[in-house]
Amino acid sequence: MTASLPTDTLAACQRCDTLVNLPKLSNHQKALCPCCNTVLHSPKKHTLDKTFAISFAGLLLLIPATVMPLMGIYAAGQYNQASLFTCIVLLANEGFYFIAFCVFIFAIAVPAVRLFTAFYLTFCLKYTSKKPHLIVFFRSYHLLNNWAMIHVFFLGIIVSLYKLVDIADIAIGTGITSIILLLMCSTMLSITLDHRFIWQQLEQIND
Amino acid sequence: MTRTALSNGLGSCPRCQKINKMHSEKQQCSRCAHWFYSRKPNSLQHTMAWTVTALVLFIPANIYPMMTLHTFGKTEASTILQGIATFIQTGHYPIAFIIFMASFIIPLGKIIGLFFLVYHVKHRSNMSLKRQSHLFHIVENIGPWSMLDVFVVVVMASVVNLGFISNIEVSLGASYFALMVIATLMAAHSFDSRLLWDNNNKKEQTHE
Repeated sequence: MTASLPTDTLAACQRCDTLVNLPKLSNHQKALCPCCNTVLHSPKKHTLDKTFAISFAGLLLLIPATVMPLMGIYAAGQYNQASLFTCIVLLANEGFYFIAFCVFIFAIAVPAVRLFTAFYLTFCLKYTSKKPHLIVFFRSYHLLNNWAMIHVFFLGIIVSLYKLVDIADIAIGTGITSIILLLMCSTMLSITLDHRFIWQQLEQIND
Repeated sequence: MTRTALSNGLGSCPRCQKINKMHSEKQQCSRCAHWFYSRKPNSLQHTMAWTVTALVLFIPANIYPMMTLHTFGKTEASTILQGIATFIQTGHYPIAFIIFMASFIIPLGKIIGLFFLVYHVKHRSNMSLKRQSHLFHIVENIGPWSMLDVFVVVVMASVVNLGFISNIEVSLGASYFALMVIATLMAAHSFDSRLLWDNNNKKEQTHE
């Protein structure tokens, strides 16, 4: 019985393992699991172009988001400002290597790798020949999906702003704007990227 | 009786979602070359181990101070709960609520929710499957938010760094807290939600 099943049009729900025969979908349509309503597939319009543009913008924003000051504080004639990068350096200097490592991984490294993977993949699929190592890249994208915490870091900045406003005079830096834009890019990435389409494109390399 | 990939001798790759024929328990995906199982092996044991770890780490995370404030030679250390109490005293109720949710309710809710789900896989329950699945969806997605307080302390510590006048230092509690969050993330990651539905399918079969 299993030999006759066409594995290309089949999909299994990741959440409940229900086997579904995927119909041909047009844009703006979604395939839902009949058992638990998880989205199985939703085709996206111009997925390569959009993802390429957004991931490129995100990569450019990564530099100001890490280097530019997030905020500055005035107190008793002194001024001090900090960026995401100086946060990590300060933590490492004080001996909190583990927290420095966590902040680096969750707020910089994971989003950076995700953006770079999406950028490199769409660039290669659009302009150059398809190479087998792209599969490894896209696999790492899926592995890192749950570990990006830019949104939490952003809320953390807001809360600490709120805390510090009472104590001292605060100057808001350009780093915050960059982080908001970076956050938008990394969120848009999960909206524009059509996983099934890209995997089908990559599958042709093996054939 | 629902038709599952497992009952048809198939399995979907967790990375690329390609349907593969399962020739043995462990199978290499024909598209992305990822080795996978049709069900995560020892999923419940791993989930329990990480959940218990998180629960144990929750204690030092709350006992040790998150940060130490030095102002004009005075030193003041505060734990998470003391920090929340300060916000309530100064009248910042929304912020107190957010911090309380992120660093207390979410990790505890996750730990209780995972214990609950593991219990439901092992034993029969009256809770509907849709609700269990929904619960797991929540447990899986709220995890990163509990990192909030660590990030707040990190940003505060690096901004308020004015030597003798005012200086905030990260303290030991933050390390434990970050470890605890990672343990809860790993716990949710190692839980295989398909086991919930497998149980139900087995039950239906025995009824038939």
